[in-house]
Amino acid sequence: MKRITWLMLGLAVAAVLAWLAWRAPVPARAPAVPASAPVDTLAAAGLKAVRLYFASPNGAGLVSETRELPESPTLHERVAALVAELDKGPDAGGVAALPPGTSLLHVYLDDEGLLTVDLSRAFQQGFRGGADAEYLAVTSLVRTLATNVPEVRRVLIVCGGATLETLGGHLPLDRPFEAAEMP
Amino acid sequence: MIRRLVAAALAIGIAVSTVAARLQPDAPPRRPVASKSPSDSVLAPVRRLPPAAPGARNYPPLGPGRSRRAKSSDARKAKARDARRGARTDVTRERATLREPATPRDVMPPARGNVAGRRGGSRIPPAFARFTPAELPENAPIETVGGQDWIAAHDLARLLGATKFWRPEVRKLELRSPALRILLTDDNPFVLIGDRTVALDTPVRSRGGQLRVPVALVDSLPRDSAGVRLAIDVHRRRVLRVPELGLVRTPRIASDGTTERVVFPADRPAEVSVIGRGRSHFRVRFGGLFVGQPPDSAMRPGLVLAIVPIATTEGSAFEFTLAPETEGYRIERDERRGTVTVRFERHAGPGDERFAPSGPPGARAVRVVVLDPGHGGGDAGVSVSGAIEKDLALSLAREVSRALEGRMRRVRVILTRTEDRMVSVQERAERANRAHADIVVSLHFDGAPGPAAHGATAYVPPATYGGAEPVARGAAPVALLPWRDVATRHAVNSRVLAESVMSSLELRGLGPARLREALPYPLLGVNAPGLMLECGTLTSESDRARVMAAGGLRQLADAIAAGIEAYGGAE
Repeated sequence: MKRITWLMLGLAVAAVLAWLAWRAPVPARAPAVPASAPVDTLAAAGLKAVRLYFASPNGAGLVSETRELPESPTLHERVAALVAELDKGPDAGGVAALPPGTSLLHVYLDDEGLLTVDLSRAFQQGFRGGADAEYLAVTSLVRTLATNVPEVRRVLIVCGGATLETLGGHLPLDRPFEAAEMP
Repeated sequence: MIRRLVAAALAIGIAVSTVAARLQPDAPPRRPVASKSPSDSVLAPVRRLPPAAPGARNYPPLGPGRSRRAKSSDARKAKARDARRGARTDVTRERATLREPATPRDVMPPARGNVAGRRGGSRIPPAFARFTPAELPENAPIETVGGQDWIAAHDLARLLGATKFWRPEVRKLELRSPALRILLTDDNPFVLIGDRTVALDTPVRSRGGQLRVPVALVDSLPRDSAGVRLAIDVHRRRVLRVPELGLVRTPRIASDGTTERVVFPADRPAEVSVIGRGRSHFRVRFGGLFVGQPPDSAMRPGLVLAIVPIATTEGSAFEFTLAPETEGYRIERDERRGTVTVRFERHAGPGDERFAPSGPPGARAVRVVVLDPGHGGGDAGVSVSGAIEKDLALSLAREVSRALEGRMRRVRVILTRTEDRMVSVQERAERANRAHADIVVSLHFDGAPGPAAHGATAYVPPATYGGAEPVARGAAPVALLPWRDVATRHAVNSRVLAESVMSSLELRGLGPARLREALPYPLLGVNAPGLMLECGTLTSESDRARVMAAGGLRQLADAIAAGIEAYGGAE
């Protein structure tokens, strides 16, 4: 009788274990990616397209290209990523217009769409060239920001926390640039 | 004791085998994986359709392609059984949850089509050939493959300003923007747009490593949304983001002998203005972007001889050439119909506007010319291989002064600096204003980031500048203009001067010459027509060699002086 009790007890334990195992969550399998998967969309995080403006090689104006960047939740991250991409330079056909090493320190956006971008000192110190270089540096930055941040109506460029009178003596930077008037 | 051990081993063995069986990849799940999928939140509720009404589309079960649609309901039941047994892949199981779309009310009619069907001819009108895609608002190309028009899913996301989320396990791509959510499934014609299901004629396809969407989907996107609107531009074969001020479409012309009406369908009829009132250059600007068929530019009989789209930085603009007998015009805006009618009258009535008088412009007196050699002192400007901008600018200013005095009698030329020293922008403006300058030319040489850049560029104050803020005072409104921006008061003459100088440079082979409307720093506070002239590009080897050659500066100076002389006209 005692043996039967032990046997029953053992079977009961086995049944409980089996039930628990059945209820246990299935370990996630790594998703099998077929060979034909869209390579441009293989990202776990959200990707967002941005349009970047660079100088055209003949200096006549701007050329643009699109890139996909991980979505940035805050304004600062979005603008910083755009400035960083401009600083990296173009992938197709254009010429980098922003002075090398330029990065974003701070950014502010008011209710009337005025975006104040505070750039690192490299923006001023790294500038080389004449009016064309200055014009293209400003227009590529303003147009890139206005295109990718829809709330932006005007852009004021400051450098190292202070208003910059001019970059190379050809364009005044002490006033905001109207995004709609950019070429 | 042994039996106890046997019993315990048996229990453990059963447990282990159960766990092992559960962990096998092919083990049947107890419930469809789709219910665990994060995509549940974006999937439309699955409801069974009532029997199809006559003429209604019989929605097939979702499958990888059209071939699957033909399968019988028995086959579907068998598949559902298989799904319950878990014998199918995750992808198929996910599809099983979308077997049928929502109620017929929720289902959009099949979005048909191919833009080619609406194209009415593939020839791009010549007037449009001038406009490159870069001048358009954000846009993407339409590709035609197998008789079907497609747009790449990543382009669609870009146009909508949406973020992409790809779920490889179910081969679904979600496009998410604040105003809209679109779920695309590879090899599947059903697309979820918000909480609606849209059935496309052709499934979404993966091609060349990218998802492609039939372009007909654009017509199914919500138009009343606060978000982005897209439009298909059949002429340019592009999908484009509708600008804030909407679109302007093909005008039609109606005439009854004495009155001629040109009717433009426009999304925002209020956004129209007349920007040129001359009969030969009557110009109308619309806020919206023109995506219609341009009017035939050939001369035609009647009051409106020709209509030509002209370049504009924003929106669109047209130039009308009118017959000399046209006496008046009127702009009629119909918000309800969404049209703008430009009416021309052979006999002007009481409510009609008159045209600007035509005739030769008056002579411009050029008595005092201020030349402003750029940079100086510690500010050398551009410096390339021995060519130093501040020195070249000063030498050029002296040459231009000599050339002007040789060409124009009674002209007085003043230089803002005559030696190598730094002069502030305020000091330069003060000298020009104190001398009552008729024109100011700031002379510079350029340095460009691009290796192929060369030629001259003129910068002139823009005609409209953001610095002016209208303030009402009493009955007559006045516009307050900061003194810094006073040069913008002379924008029109500045542009005429710049065009004259640039023509002269081009004629002598010293171009290409470009003109940019941007208030230049050296003209801050200058109360006269003026321009900043970048006379050549020192980073260009050919320009540098030309400027540095013997007689190079004299040749340049002569061209500039000839341009100034031509601006003076009657001199």
